[in-house]
Amino acid sequence: MIEMFLWALVLVSLMATLVISIYGIVIRPSLIKKLIALTILTDSANLLAIMIGYRLIYPVIPPVLPQRTQEGLSKFIASSVDPLPQALVITAVVIGMAVNVLIAFAIIQIYRICGTTDVRKIAEVMKDGKT
Amino acid sequence: MKRGHIIALGVFIALILLVSLGITFVGKVPMTTDVRPLGLFYLKNSYFGNYAARSPEVVTSILWDYRGLDTLFETGVFFLAIISALALFRIEKKEEKVKEKGEGFTFIVKDTVRIISVLIVAVSAAIALHGHLTPGGGFQGGSALAVVPLLIIVAFSKYALEGRGLTKDTAMIVRSIGLISIIILVLIPLAAGGYLMQNLPVFPSHILGQLTSGSLVFYNLFEYIAVGAGFTAVFLLLSIPEKVFHKIIGGEKE
Repeated sequence: MIEMFLWALVLVSLMATLVISIYGIVIRPSLIKKLIALTILTDSANLLAIMIGYRLIYPVIPPVLPQRTQEGLSKFIASSVDPLPQALVITAVVIGMAVNVLIAFAIIQIYRICGTTDVRKIAEVMKDGKT
Repeated sequence: MKRGHIIALGVFIALILLVSLGITFVGKVPMTTDVRPLGLFYLKNSYFGNYAARSPEVVTSILWDYRGLDTLFETGVFFLAIISALALFRIEKKEEKVKEKGEGFTFIVKDTVRIISVLIVAVSAAIALHGHLTPGGGFQGGSALAVVPLLIIVAFSKYALEGRGLTKDTAMIVRSIGLISIIILVLIPLAAGGYLMQNLPVFPSHILGQLTSGSLVFYNLFEYIAVGAGFTAVFLLLSIPEKVFHKIIGGEKE
């Protein structure tokens, strides 16, 4: 029962983190804070994907074959976690890093041109045309 | 922290606890004790079996063999993002060196960085080249490798790297070499009469008695080079002094 509660607690907390990060992206006016919320969103989404592949058994081992024998293989299948979500997440992490770099570069450039990262002020500066 | 914030935080945490308790006792917790059939196929066939990649590391064999084309296009997305970042920060004129000499860090920081950089290169190469045996691979190793130029930029300066020949252009050339090698590796099986991105038996599973899992070790190696060099180029651009950009953009924001 206690494992079930802890598992549910982690899942609900992750969902709450997702909701908070979406709030941050939508409501906060600063572009930097939007970027921070976006990274939190991607990280919690990745963690959720990893948790889908997890098995609630003991012992549980990572998907790396410990012994290269047929006997080791059957033991491995009995206790290994699902490798597919991990394979999907590992590229998502690195691509997320590259996309975050791109967004950060864009924000720095916007700050250089407009002198602010507040979206409301950026709109004013752009309308007045005084860059 | 204001009083209202504390109350809101408390309510929020209580809500999370209540919902989890509710799910535990009333609803059904979504949990699995079995592997899904697709995952089971990969676990069974990664090293043994008729569709083997001959790799004990199941994640790497999915990454570069079973779902290889996915990873190839994801690499494409990754480098498109890097290229776009470089395009945003491009400087057409030759960048002049900003001549300002501060005191710099003490010798403790500098010597530590000198030692640690060598260690990081060795560790990241081990992560990448053992990607088919242990957790790790090209992406992870390359990200770890990119820490070295970042450390050197912080401890010494950007010009310490550029003075020794590691400019943005060199990094881009190395990155392109890595990417072109990956594309050649994708096309080799076609020339040998197989399918695109086929692993075994086009590539040998053992080289000199060492388990190399066919093409996995080569993909990891070139991805390592490409990711490391790509991030190096990004960090070099990110460390261009702000003064240079102010001069180019117009610079009335002083």
